[in-house]
Amino acid sequence: MSAAQAFFDVLWGARMALLGGLATTVLVSLLAVLAGTLLGVVVGLVLSYLRGPLNWLVRLYVDFIRGTPVLVLILASFYVLGTVGWKLNALQAGVLALAIFCSSHVGEIVRGALGAVPRGQTEAARTLGLSFPLTFALILLPQAARIALPAWVNTAAEIVKASTLLSIVGVAELLLATQEVIARSFMGLPFYVFAGAVYFAVNFAIERLGKALERRLATDTTQ
Amino acid sequence: MRFASKIAAAASGALLLVALPVGAQAQSKLDEVLARGHLIVGTGSTNAPWHFKGEGDVLQGFDIDIAKIVAKGLFDDPEKVEFVLQASDARIPNVVTDKVDITCQFMTVTAARAQQIAVTIPYYREGVGLMLPAGSQYADYAALKAAGSAVTISVLQNVYAEELVHQALPEARVDQYDAQDLIYQALDAGRADAAVTDQSSIAWLLVQQPGKYKDGGYGWSPQTYACAVKRGDQEWLNFVNTALHEAMTGVEFNAYAASFKKWFGVDLPPPSIGFPVEFK
Repeated sequence: MSAAQAFFDVLWGARMALLGGLATTVLVSLLAVLAGTLLGVVVGLVLSYLRGPLNWLVRLYVDFIRGTPVLVLILASFYVLGTVGWKLNALQAGVLALAIFCSSHVGEIVRGALGAVPRGQTEAARTLGLSFPLTFALILLPQAARIALPAWVNTAAEIVKASTLLSIVGVAELLLATQEVIARSFMGLPFYVFAGAVYFAVNFAIERLGKALERRLATDTTQ
Repeated sequence: MRFASKIAAAASGALLLVALPVGAQAQSKLDEVLARGHLIVGTGSTNAPWHFKGEGDVLQGFDIDIAKIVAKGLFDDPEKVEFVLQASDARIPNVVTDKVDITCQFMTVTAARAQQIAVTIPYYREGVGLMLPAGSQYADYAALKAAGSAVTISVLQNVYAEELVHQALPEARVDQYDAQDLIYQALDAGRADAAVTDQSSIAWLLVQQPGKYKDGGYGWSPQTYACAVKRGDQEWLNFVNTALHEAMTGVEFNAYAASFKKWFGVDLPPPSIGFPVEFK
């Protein structure tokens, strides 16, 4: 019991640092998912509805980003952008890298979801005299959102996990805060298990939230 | 981490190619830092006693004190430092890309590294040593060596770990563990007779937990620790060297010695007065 007691003593002493790390993890993930989703929806629209050079360009962007490890994106946005005059601090560079990574995945999810809405829906809207923006907003988007939601929740959880890589460039997120506690307490195993449990709790909450949203969207369409 | 270090090394190499032709700076980093009013130092936060956070979440350690000595030289105020946390892999890239003015993060000096960054004068010489439980049946290194293959050594997992141990104890059994805390746990649990680890770690643990361990009294595998600055700015390098030099031999010796005592538990004899110690 004394080992457990020692662990909880150290944990209590480090509670503010660990909470700070958790707050950074949540903030970084939230910003990245928000920005990545906004950009990703635009990417998905371009992939679905535009033809020609812009489509090719966006297709290249998605394929390139999806085929690149997140760690490389983080190092690139931290180091390479600085050499061309855009100096971002570690947190900004990290959010940018994660948002770009997120946008490429969301773009594909949106494209797939829009493609899965039966063509008849668009045709029916057109016969009713709806313009394309109205068709999109009232007919396609609600149905596509429902299809896209599970995959989008998955991506959000991936971003939370990818945020651990920001410790490489010195962002004091949860993993780095945990490692700092291990460095002074030499309690590696219990604190890594603890960090794992916290990450699981965050992602479990995201998953539950996604499920709740799914239920809500489902009832909306059946009414 | 090995993958990350390769990426970082590749990135730093590539960036060096981009950065070098820009070359000739209008003014030295020394002027830039003085005008800014504080020093930006790259360091880590997860390695005691070098750079780590104490109970109050405050960065401390020998590297931190070295950085403060440089800041005191610049502004006559050791607190005028902004620490930028970085992984070990980021030490060189962050200097090369001007994210930091200087890196002080237990960096081992190698000729290969000196091609990428400018290395300051050393402020510590690291080596590995043997740590035993205070109540061990073996008195010291000689006793361990005499026991031959009856001795089990715990060491941090590494490609050269076995060879490292066998340089000192050719017949010892070697148990490798994948985390620093586990090699001490093996010692505590009696699974190992001695741990092979950095001498600074041994000194730190002897200070932290007096009466629990003892030093085997033998060191090998020397490596030099120094700070690093960007290449091509001799004035800045000279300044940092001067600040470090005077901390080890001159007016700031007391600050250096106090830090040395605090983190390694060793009282340094003051430099002898008279003929400069460097030219003896």
